[in-house]
Parts: sequence; C-alpha cells; structure tokens
Amino acid sequence: MKRKIELYGRLRDAGLGAAVSVDLPRPVTARRALSILKMSFGSKAALLDGCALATGDEVLSASDELPAGRLALLPPVCGG
Amino acid sequence: MTPSRLDPAALCRAVSSPKHGALAAFVGTVRAVHAGRRVKAVSYDCFVPLAEKELARIAVAAERRWPVRVAVAHRTGRLKIGEASVAIAAGSGHRAEAFEACRFVIEEIKRRVPVWKLEHYETGDGRWLAGCALHGPAKKSRP
Repeated sequence: MKRKIELYGRLRDAGLGAAVSVDLPRPVTARRALSILKMSFGSKAALLDGCALATGDEVLSASDELPAGRLALLPPVCGG
Repeated sequence: MTPSRLDPAALCRAVSSPKHGALAAFVGTVRAVHAGRRVKAVSYDCFVPLAEKELARIAVAAERRWPVRVAVAHRTGRLKIGEASVAIAAGSGHRAEAFEACRFVIEEIKRRVPVWKLEHYETGDGRWLAGCALHGPAKKSRP
C-alpha cells in the first residue's frame, strides 16, 4: 500500500521534496517501515540514522504498527 | 508554534496572579556565532501538530510537578540574530519552583519537541544542527 511520509529537518536536503511516497505492507511496524524507507533513500540512507516515525499525536516506538493517517519521518530534534 | 514575533510580556501576563510572589521567564534568542562560525540567521523547521501537542504536554507536566502556571511559545520560520526563538513564563507562589519550571520546560523542549534548526552562515552556506533522537516509549510516561 502506498503511504505518504512527510520529511523534516535535514531530510529536506535529500532532494526528495517535502514528502516521499513508499510502498509498505499492511500491517507494518515502525521498525520495518524505517528499514524500507532506508532502502528508498539509496545513497542518502545515512540521513535516516536516529530518525523516528510519528503521527500528529505521538512518536511511534519501533514495535508500533503504523496507524492510518498523517505520518512524518523526524530526525533528531534541536528546538529552543 | 508560531511564525509571528514572540511576545514574552504577554506570556508573563498569562501566568500572573495576585496569589503569586514569583514570575520567572526564559527567552532563547538567535546568536551571531556558533561553534566558531558567524551566523546570519536561523531557520526553524517544525512538525506543527505534534510540536504543539508536545509543548502542551510539557506545560502540563511542569504544572503537575510544581505549583506553577506555565505558558510557552516557539517560533517557526527564518529568524534574524537577536530574535526570540522560544519564550517561557512560569508564575508561582515562590521563586524556586518558578525557576525550576522554566528550566524543566526548556530542557524538555530540546529533548522532545519536533523542531529543527538550520543555521545560515555569513559565508553563504548552511547546516542543520545535530539534536536528540526521538523515542516512542517515552509516551508511556506522558501526562
């Protein structure tokens, strides 16, 4: 199933735009989805080191299944 | 989260009370030099829906931990040197908890709010700053 995943921070420098569309099995855990995303980033896969998947409500743990709705790929944060 | 200029005085008014004997504020600003590089501006990227929820959760956590009222705001977009990027106000009966709450809120922001800084240097290049990796299991202990 195609899922749109929004990109933030340093991931915007991957040359992939503000979001990527990837084929993910259903159901799929966040861990497996990250692994598939790394493959789709090819030579820029290192940009995903330390990244997490999140909904608009919460960060997903590795074993969480991806819910329906908005998804974002978040690099390590540095607000303030 | 807002693209508009922050107003720390408004945050202070929002948490003030005749019952309070202390009002502490923290304002983070954009600095001109970082790690030896001359900075021209900083762009703040943000995953808005989650960032706003995390800011609210952090404020609630502070108000549960100390007898304080907390207000917090964070900028998005491109900021010039000296502009406020984050503002926190804590009102309480006494100074200790007001100071502690402000410190708690800024440290939690740096640890868990989905915001990223892109420094723009006077040399024309830029760099995304390193940060703290997010982890899902933390949600189990959230308020």
